[in-house]
Amino acid sequence: MTNTSAGTAVRLADVEKSFAVQGGGETVALQGINLDIGAGEFVSLIGPSGCGKSTLLRIVADLIRPTSGTVEVNGKSPHRARLDRDYGMVFQAPVLFDWRTVEANVRLPLEVMNVARSEREQRVREMLELVELGGFLRHYPHQLSGGMQQRVAIARALCFQPAILLMDEPFGALDEMTRERLNAEVLRIWARLGTTVIFVTHSIPEAVFLSTRVVVMSARPGRITTVVDVDLPQPRTEQTRETDRYYELVTVVREALRGRLPAGAQDGPAALDGHPAKQRARAEGGIG
Amino acid sequence: MASSARAVPARPSMGLAARAVRLVIDYLPAMAVLVGALVLWEVLTAGPGRRVLPAPSAIVAGFDANADLLTRSAMNTYWEAIGGLAIGTVAGLAVAFATARWVSAREALLPIAIAANSIPIIAIAPILNNWFGVLNPLSKMMMAAMLVFFPVMINVTRGLVSVHPASLELMRSYATSDWTVLTKVRIPNMLPFFFTALKVGTTLSFIGAIVGEYFGGTSAVLGRVILTSMSSGRFDVAWAGILLGAFGAIAAYIAVVLIERVVIPWHSALRNQ
Amino acid sequence: MRDPETATERQSSAASVGVAGVEPPSRRRSILRPIASVALVLLAIGIAWQVAKLIGGDPWRYDDFLGTGIAFHHNPPLRVAQLSDRQLPHLWDIGAALVQPVQRGAQQSLGEFLVGAALYTWREAIIGFGLGALIGVVLASLFVHFRLLERAFVPYVIASQAIPIVALAPIIVVGLGRGIVAVVIIATYLTFFPVTIAAMRGLSSPDPRALELMRSYAASRWAIFWKVRLPASVPYLFTALKIAATASIVGAIIGEGPGGVPEGLGRAIINFNQQYITGPEKLWATILIASLLGITFFALVRVAEALVLRNRQRVDV
Repeated sequence: MTNTSAGTAVRLADVEKSFAVQGGGETVALQGINLDIGAGEFVSLIGPSGCGKSTLLRIVADLIRPTSGTVEVNGKSPHRARLDRDYGMVFQAPVLFDWRTVEANVRLPLEVMNVARSEREQRVREMLELVELGGFLRHYPHQLSGGMQQRVAIARALCFQPAILLMDEPFGALDEMTRERLNAEVLRIWARLGTTVIFVTHSIPEAVFLSTRVVVMSARPGRITTVVDVDLPQPRTEQTRETDRYYELVTVVREALRGRLPAGAQDGPAALDGHPAKQRARAEGGIG
Repeated sequence: MASSARAVPARPSMGLAARAVRLVIDYLPAMAVLVGALVLWEVLTAGPGRRVLPAPSAIVAGFDANADLLTRSAMNTYWEAIGGLAIGTVAGLAVAFATARWVSAREALLPIAIAANSIPIIAIAPILNNWFGVLNPLSKMMMAAMLVFFPVMINVTRGLVSVHPASLELMRSYATSDWTVLTKVRIPNMLPFFFTALKVGTTLSFIGAIVGEYFGGTSAVLGRVILTSMSSGRFDVAWAGILLGAFGAIAAYIAVVLIERVVIPWHSALRNQ
Repeated sequence: MRDPETATERQSSAASVGVAGVEPPSRRRSILRPIASVALVLLAIGIAWQVAKLIGGDPWRYDDFLGTGIAFHHNPPLRVAQLSDRQLPHLWDIGAALVQPVQRGAQQSLGEFLVGAALYTWREAIIGFGLGALIGVVLASLFVHFRLLERAFVPYVIASQAIPIVALAPIIVVGLGRGIVAVVIIATYLTFFPVTIAAMRGLSSPDPRALELMRSYAASRWAIFWKVRLPASVPYLFTALKIAATASIVGAIIGEGPGGVPEGLGRAIINFNQQYITGPEKLWATILIASLLGITFFALVRVAEALVLRNRQRVDV
């Protein structure tokens, strides 16, 4: 690839990933992935089970190596980006340590990264205030609800101020109402910090509500079907969920998931397999 | 370097030959250690003179010279240990089922069993010898049985009781009897716990048998053979006896592992991941 | 913005690392109920004991029962050998033996002597306990980090327990000489095994995602060990330590016999066994004290466990 534009946070070019399978043979988790994510974008990956969205996230995180293709994170290799702590991660389960208080849990990355002690306390408190759990410093995880635990996990992911936030179905285990509330919180934090967010989800409404772009994937093999630009105005509120445009976009994404691509797609389904020119055109100009 | 928790571990296609090769490779490090240790042992201790730890070759020679006595003693001790294992297991199962059935019994007995498990039961060995007769193998069996009883009882009770509440609700929704719940849910849940206890029990039963023999027994049991040969300085024979005892315990352990594979193949497969 | 957290939300997330299973917060049971039920069962055992002797033991002939002046004569209808006064002394005879001199003409009562012996044995056991726990954790750490070592040595760790330590004890003593060192080694031998196995389970218990998280921080293996694996293994360790408590005492008692340690319980058991014909109560009293020692040590570990784990979610390990 030629010059990396200064504003590109993540660039994936022809990325493929296959796994060897018990009993012989291989399964292709990802094929022909081409995607550019600009700095400060909020990009959702949505698709059926087995489409490789979590795998893709982990490739960006340098937790899995791709079988082929190039990946650039923050202008570096994923490995370098990981060593430089350029991203924070939030999983579907909060994965908090039950022997640490809320405060100590958020402090964990700062300890590992040898941040100065004096600075640690302040950052932790800031982060917990940001997710509105300032009064729960001394609590233990099991004393908090699922939603609160996830907020702690988000605080923990952000406390070392990474450029990129990777979220793997973080609200999947929560009920719908808590989920919507946390959606709004994530948007608020995103607006405040300007972090690039890559967000894996199963939920169409969530993907549309949160993102600047929705990457629709399909399975067997995992590939990008299409990318939907979400041109809803910011800041997005509960009202946004009730606008016509929102419903339109949810329908577009739903149809895309079913294999029925957005109207005006120039070359038909075959050519939409993540052709780089297509992707860039979409990124610049909106749908179709 | 980086591997995902979701990745399927790569395995070559598993033909029979391939599986056999895989087995050998898995056990190769352990085999290497065994061979290495034996060689080292032999090299370090070979040569004339009576040692506290004779060379393996000397131990084998000592066994050959007393093969008859040692085999008979081993058989007797194995018999005591296995008998005790059986008695203790049956008793443990019986009490476990009783305590699982009646909550009041459980609340009273489980803490006592746990506490009783911390009693150094070897202190009872002389009593058992007196009760059942020093020369009677039953006294050693009872010693073994007592050591086996508590782990079995505690583990089986836990297994019977710690069923996921959701499973119980499911069975209630099918309007089944307590008996069906027992057989279809509780017992399968209990089996892994049971086998864990049984594995612990194999070594305990041998310890019990030999401790019992320590305090007295016929002359043709491993415990006494070891003691008498040591007091006459015949460490090679003593070690032969010790190794025979260890062999018996290991064989019993392996037998339990094999039985477990047959009875609860699904659980063993899980554990091997 | 506040979440109206519900209790079900709290319980339903099996979110925290180091949680083996999810259980509803345990009810605060009063400490009295288990104590009462245990006392009840002990009482029942005592009653059963004496009733058995009433039915099948030796004749009861008391002209002055324990100095109270009560006369009591009874001929049991049955005669069972195991219930004779020699095989199963009366509970009060055992109790009486405890307050009587340990030997004819000695100053110390049996009770004092036995408690002293128990404390002596306990000292040896604790050293073995500590050493065994340390060795167990170190071995487990090596095995968890280096799979080759695990494959090579774990079978022998398991096999080590198959070697009847009882039989090895005299040899260890002959090899290392009499005294406390041999005893501590034997106690350590019995302790390190359960701790190794439990520590291996505990150190590999963290949620794989917790390890992914640490990798995303580019944390060193050492940091992962200290901050994740070791804390996660603590509940498992305590389960093993409760077993190890007993095992170390058993090891110490076994070692004292051949080890020729006169001050410990092991020697007392051997001596009173030899004197069984003349005074069976003494051996029974020794058993009683040995049991109390085992239970006390176990209880102490249990209390330590409750303290150390007090902030964690309750887990059935």
